[in-house]
Amino acid sequence: MSPLTAPKGRRAGLRQQIASEFTKMRSVRSTWVVLGTMIVISLGFAVLFPAIIANGWHDRSAAERVNFDPVSVTQFGIIFGQLVIAVFAVLFITPEFSSGSIRGTLAALPRRRNVLAAKAIVLGGATLVVTEILSFASFFLGRAILLAFGGQAVTGQLTLAEQIKATHAPVYAITTSGVAQAIFGGGLYLTLIALFALGMGFILRSTPGSIALFVALLLIIPGVLQALPRSISNAIQPKMPSNLGAAMTSVHQRTTDFGGQLLAPWPAAALMAAYCVVLLGLGLWLFSRRDA
Amino acid sequence: MIEARHLTKNYGSNRAVDDLSFDVQSGVVTGFLGPNGSGKSTTLRMILGLDHPSSGTVLIDGANYHDLRWPLREVGALIEAKAVHPGRSARMHLWALAQTNSIPKDRVEEVLEIVGLSGVAKRKVGKFSLGMSQRLGIATALLGDPGVLLFDEPINGLDPEGILWVRNLLKSLADEGRTIFFSSHLMSEMSQTATNLVVIGRGRLIADTSVEDFIASNAEQTVRIDAVRLEELITALKQAGATVRTTDEGVDVAGLEPVQIGEIALAGGIALRELTPQTASLEEVFMELTSESSEYTSTQDAEGGA
Repeated sequence: MSPLTAPKGRRAGLRQQIASEFTKMRSVRSTWVVLGTMIVISLGFAVLFPAIIANGWHDRSAAERVNFDPVSVTQFGIIFGQLVIAVFAVLFITPEFSSGSIRGTLAALPRRRNVLAAKAIVLGGATLVVTEILSFASFFLGRAILLAFGGQAVTGQLTLAEQIKATHAPVYAITTSGVAQAIFGGGLYLTLIALFALGMGFILRSTPGSIALFVALLLIIPGVLQALPRSISNAIQPKMPSNLGAAMTSVHQRTTDFGGQLLAPWPAAALMAAYCVVLLGLGLWLFSRRDA
Repeated sequence: MIEARHLTKNYGSNRAVDDLSFDVQSGVVTGFLGPNGSGKSTTLRMILGLDHPSSGTVLIDGANYHDLRWPLREVGALIEAKAVHPGRSARMHLWALAQTNSIPKDRVEEVLEIVGLSGVAKRKVGKFSLGMSQRLGIATALLGDPGVLLFDEPINGLDPEGILWVRNLLKSLADEGRTIFFSSHLMSEMSQTATNLVVIGRGRLIADTSVEDFIASNAEQTVRIDAVRLEELITALKQAGATVRTTDEGVDVAGLEPVQIGEIALAGGIALRELTPQTASLEEVFMELTSESSEYTSTQDAEGGA
């Protein structure tokens, strides 16, 4: 065997692990399936929902018109895609536990903090790039569909009263205040969802377990919470991840689907980020203590 | 060199490894022998810093595994052959690991060549046979050209040709001055490949010695005898302090040298038909030593079964 050349750098660490994790990400088919699925879902719903809403604007009740958000309407696919992104994130870590390949990973880099950090950076970075592109593409595509199906371009923000009285679905320009931020919020939300699910994967170490908990947390618990007294439910609902996602992609502070007022975009993003910090922190604590 | 000192690992109330201390020298192949479930894999995982010891330490060339600057360049390990993402190709699996220790891409091709997997480098490892997976695991261990190599059951699933290849590989790696530590529950494998032995049973150290000394000091030296007036000779031998065991195959005498047996026979005027010193195989020694420490011992008499 020919001797290896001396490595550059002081010791194996975060930088080397990031390169490795990126190789792992692009070398499995599920990554490309997820990418394809996300493109279809986000752009598909960016056509479907704007078309339906712009077309049926006359028949909408005042309550429905209040709930209309000019950016959110183009981002339904992004929000629906959260399940796909969560599965993607879970599959970025749990198969290493179930196959045992985490041992190879840790033998190569025993400092577990660096392994978790590298996974979070690669997953977060890749998800942010892809989902931001899709968020903005969804907005422009959705906007074109709104206009094509009878929406009317407006300048500046409408008040909710103006929105109720509008004869056509109002269509916002990207330059309108709050719009670009709400579109950016779509990709940012999915990126935080990915980190959220990664944290659950590190904690539970099981693919079905992590996905089941995610589905329960995002899709089932919000419905169950409605059984609680309205005052309690309305206080909790806006803080559930899916409603944080709605808040981050909205120009208006609307009511949520299950009651309660949506948070403002940045507080919503901050709370979502805090969830991720808690889950990844707990994940790291367990990951460092457990035997591999 | 690997130095284990008082390694202990508890899983709840079950003690998998119990106060284990041993050294693994460089330049020779050291076998790690023990029945299934005796704590070999747990010990190897502790050496690699994967499992945290309940107490005790293990050092590699004087350093804790966690403090190695480029772990794969110092220690290579085959832990579980099938512990790979089934959807990744062999080449990408190795490349991802190589990157963690700044190992160049050429080296991936080199180790694929060494283990004979170049032709299937693009194939998903989930479709690999156990033998191919073992070869991939060995390639992983060799990736960083390390001075210390650990192999957990490296010959599992290999065909005879593969087994021979692994044996020669281990020996040639040791000849290059590397530290080679490989585990097996197959005693025959040890006598063929290893120079030194670490033997454990139920997590406890049974022996830390050379294969030669291990057999010599633990094997009961017996002499197979046959004679014209056999019963008479047996009585005389017993009087001289020997232990005599009669089996279907013949009569074995322990506690006397062949010369002494010959003299006793001559004194009694008994003509000997056979006088053959017997050397126990490593397998027999091992069975003898671990029969009391085997975690899962069949209560059924083995002779009654197949």
